[in-house]
Amino acid sequence: MGNKDLGKKMLKVFSKRGMGQVITASVGLVVLVVVFGILNPNFFSSRNVSNLLRQIAPIILIGIGQSYVLITGNIDLSIGSVVGMSCMISATLMTKGMSPWLAVGFTYVAALAMGILNGQLVSKAKLPPFIATLGTMTIARGIAQIVNNNYNTDSIGAGAEGFRELFYYGKTAGLFNTIWIALGLWLVFNFILSKTRTGRHIYAVGSNAHAAHLSGVNIAQTVTKAYLVSAVCAATVGLIMTAISGMGTMDAGTTYELYAVAASVIGGVSTLGGQGILLGTIVGASIWGVLQNGLQFAGAPVAIRNIVIGVIVIISVLLDIVLRANNRKNKKGKAAA
Amino acid sequence: MGNFIVELENVSKGFPGVKALDHVSLQLRAGEVLALLGENGAGKSTLMKILSGVYTMDEGTMKIFGEMVTEMNPVAAQELGIAIIHQELNMCDHLTVAQNIFLGREVTKKGILSDAEMNQKASEILSSLSMDIDPDTVLGDLSVSKQQMVEIAKALSTNARILIMDEPTSALTSQEIDELFTIINRLKNEGCGIVYISHRLEELQHIVDRVMILRDGQYITSMDFKDTSIQEVIAHMVGREITEKFPRVNRSVGRKIFEVQHLNAGKLVKDISFSLYEGEIVGIAGLMGAGRTETTRAIFGADAKESGTIIIDGEVVEINQPIDAINAGIVLAPENRKKDGLCTKLSIKDNIALPNLDMMVNPLGIVNTKKEEEMTVKAIKNLDIRLANSDVDAESLSGGNQQKVVVGKWLARNSRVVIFDEPTRGIDVGSKVEIYNIMNALKSQGIGVIFVSSEMPEILGISDRILVMADGRITKELDIEEATQDSILAYATQFDKKIHHDIA
Repeated sequence: MGNKDLGKKMLKVFSKRGMGQVITASVGLVVLVVVFGILNPNFFSSRNVSNLLRQIAPIILIGIGQSYVLITGNIDLSIGSVVGMSCMISATLMTKGMSPWLAVGFTYVAALAMGILNGQLVSKAKLPPFIATLGTMTIARGIAQIVNNNYNTDSIGAGAEGFRELFYYGKTAGLFNTIWIALGLWLVFNFILSKTRTGRHIYAVGSNAHAAHLSGVNIAQTVTKAYLVSAVCAATVGLIMTAISGMGTMDAGTTYELYAVAASVIGGVSTLGGQGILLGTIVGASIWGVLQNGLQFAGAPVAIRNIVIGVIVIISVLLDIVLRANNRKNKKGKAAA
Repeated sequence: MGNFIVELENVSKGFPGVKALDHVSLQLRAGEVLALLGENGAGKSTLMKILSGVYTMDEGTMKIFGEMVTEMNPVAAQELGIAIIHQELNMCDHLTVAQNIFLGREVTKKGILSDAEMNQKASEILSSLSMDIDPDTVLGDLSVSKQQMVEIAKALSTNARILIMDEPTSALTSQEIDELFTIINRLKNEGCGIVYISHRLEELQHIVDRVMILRDGQYITSMDFKDTSIQEVIAHMVGREITEKFPRVNRSVGRKIFEVQHLNAGKLVKDISFSLYEGEIVGIAGLMGAGRTETTRAIFGADAKESGTIIIDGEVVEINQPIDAINAGIVLAPENRKKDGLCTKLSIKDNIALPNLDMMVNPLGIVNTKKEEEMTVKAIKNLDIRLANSDVDAESLSGGNQQKVVVGKWLARNSRVVIFDEPTRGIDVGSKVEIYNIMNALKSQGIGVIFVSSEMPEILGISDRILVMADGRITKELDIEEATQDSILAYATQFDKKIHHDIA
């Protein structure tokens, strides 16, 4: 009986909503890693692995934010601009002599305001999320440009060394801090999504908002929370960007919102809402990172990398559609029998 | 009998263009099952949505357990012990059974969901209702009837004292209906008050104590079930005198032009066979969910058929998609004109031209705007569509004029069969008459007309022959001379015998 129970439990893990696609994507990831490893033995060098993970971390972060929003059945196109806005706000404040930690605080406040704006526009004013966040995307990019009078900032200076260590250059227990930050936030947001009422409501709203409303779920609040998570993740990535270059760049994070969609979708998050798990987002972000890194190592030009990633996004969604259609057919067949 | 636990007094509710409820009152006692009856659009569901906080009433008062309630919403209703099982399934396909049952009132420990406890409790609820469903299954993986059972379990799990069931049996199997009735009788004995809405009158004898009848948004009567009969109930449901005048055109019926043989398509189209003669209007009557719209869609090729033959002028035609039907001379003016009938953001001209572009393009595919203009002007004139010019959006037209555009876009073709699905829904009386005139004009030209309607007076007033549908089958074909409102409703409620008579 014990064995049977264990088997059942294993089965349950695999049959968990969205797990199928995560497994498929993981297999794909392993294949990619092996192929790149064979093509270039240096791929597995500790230096490259460590860099690769640090490269993936920001994609995981924005992927988490986008996944939250996608699961509610919406989309957040403002992510990349919020990254840029956060980068510019934090760097400008630091160059003006503000303590880096206070600047970080201000940056998060600004990003959260953007998240609330997104959430309210979509859930209260009922704007289509594509339009609402297209608007805030442009606004946030405008803010990124205006905070330092349409110039990238100067160096954030020696006073911000600690900040740069913490967000990018430092290591803890052998791994870059950036990786720990991504991991930490992933744990927190994964916990919220899978173990709390808020998380359950996020799935419910994305699955059937009308039913959720009739069951007493506050739709506006739930959607706004998802956009807040997205804003927090984007702000964190913005801070990482500031730490990397030691200055504020106005076009930081451009097109990141789309990378975030790619990471989510490759990892099995449905753009129609109600479905997906954050484990998938890690896998999706990793595939993205490994492709970038591996193709670069193999000497492929940027253009080829873009084409390959585009193809992967399309294939992974197509695969999901085909598998699901097959599933449904099988089920129907059984029901009829 | 106990005290009233629900008292609705003089409740009114209007929607744009219709008065859905007009000073309706309802009382419900503890330990009683009240059947709320009426035709489609009588206001039953609206009244229950007010009671459960989905809609707010325009006027009237509501007392629950003797307490006046002024602010009602789904959460407040739940807290007051009111639960509703909606007619259409209202659950999240992606969540598990247990997650659906506890949606909105999840069990948490220090902010963390206790899925184990919810699964446990859901399992208890389900087995206490003798439902063999694993609470950890994803809802979307269950059959529709099982999903319906979960919805029932969800409502009961709130320990509601006031239960509203809106057509709970339509998706259930006979065994599940048996189980549901056992549950209802048990809840009744435990002192719950239940409002039960169903078109299946033969079900009532197993569970119902009292019936209340609504018609056209008005309270008609209520009585103890044992003092009445199905015939009397039907008479009250129909009740009205037909005072409206319908323009009727007499024309000798010609040869058979169209025939459907043994058409099957899903649950709501079962073994449909009928014929249509030149210059004839055949009405299809039935209650909501009888399969009328589904039948028209299957004929038109909008939904896939499982089997069946369609014959036009003695020749079998293969119809797999709408274009096949159009080419064969069959056209459809669909039920939902905004969704299926019109491109509301396009102009009237574009809408009328859309299905006829093949007739006005040159070999390169370039539209001959002169021909287009001619055709639309002609259609607009023939149909007497009143508008400033044909370039305005279809959306800006009144319902009646929109309907005329839906119809008009087909009339430029030499169609053999025109299907109208609820063409007069939500339009004013004057426009209705114009739609009837269009149907009559088609009839005079020798075109076969199929007319689906839920409004008995018009179907009796316009049709030459009436097919009555229930449960996806044609239960009766009536000549217009023998058809009455009572006879139509009697056949429209003739469902497959799903219930065993040895219940309870």
